Amino acid sequence: MKERAFITLTNTFKDKLFRLSKRLLVSSEEAEDATQEVLLKLWKNKSKIGTYKNVEAFAMTMTKNYCYDKLKSKQTGNLKIVHNNYEDGQASLQRQVEAKDSLDWVGKIMESLPEQQRMIIQLRDIEQYNNAEIAEMLEMNETAVRVALSRGRKVIREELLKKHNYGVV
Amino acid sequence: MELSNIEKLLEKYFEGETTISEEKELKVYFTSETVPSHLQKYQYLFKYFSEESTVSARRDLKLTAHNKKSYAWVGMAASIALIVGLFMARTGPSEPVDTFEDPEIALQETKKILNMVSQYMNEGKEGLVYLKEFENTKNKFLK
Repeated sequence: MKERAFITLTNTFKDKLFRLSKRLLVSSEEAEDATQEVLLKLWKNKSKIGTYKNVEAFAMTMTKNYCYDKLKSKQTGNLKIVHNNYEDGQASLQRQVEAKDSLDWVGKIMESLPEQQRMIIQLRDIEQYNNAEIAEMLEMNETAVRVALSRGRKVIREELLKKHNYGVV
Repeated sequence: MELSNIEKLLEKYFEGETTISEEKELKVYFTSETVPSHLQKYQYLFKYFSEESTVSARRDLKLTAHNKKSYAWVGMAASIALIVGLFMARTGPSEPVDTFEDPEIALQETKKILNMVSQYMNEGKEGLVYLKEFENTKNKFLK
């Protein structure tokens, strides 16, 4: 497979890999590294690409495993890094800021979910894969995916409700 | 869309029983229309989801991995060359070959060359005669 063909193939799902790793690793920089790493691994084994049933799902599974490894090595290294993605927000209107703030709350709630639920919500609600595809990517069965999905969504609902009623999460 | 329908869909959504297309309907409803206040909290949720799906990686992919393969071949070629070289060196210097047919001529030629060498040696040694003088003088004082 030629370089150009490989890049056009991976460009169709590169951003999805990035968003999944960002969901797990939080920091954009680390997510960029993870995406690069996974694509390079795929490129090194390009002779086998034809034998994969679904390259996109395969790449997603690779990303998941890579991020798990990253998270694990961070935990064993006794290193607690707090990630911040600094952005220069345009504070034009009070309401715009408020709305943005509320959207950020959803992100923060998602960060507090267990990794598996976080990934499933990411894949289902943001990337719009169906449960069968998610089950394949995460190496789970479909029922477990549906249960985790419902559980995760309900946690988000409760937290949003708290935030809405009392202004605290 | 009807409000009761939306509420029903939401209930199904939190049970994880909606289909992808039903979820799309919910997303469209919550991101475009103004929603009643008791549903406003869900608006954040669906807005967040649709906003997050537009995030993309900024860094371009650089493929440099394919160079490694050629280096392996260079190493192999070098080791083969080394082995062949060692083999050749061991068998290389064979017995000297005669350059003259007649031994008489060979002897004369050799003598000629040796004479030439000794002649040059003697020419070079002429300069050392002075050193003898130094030796004599030194011996006069140091016995």
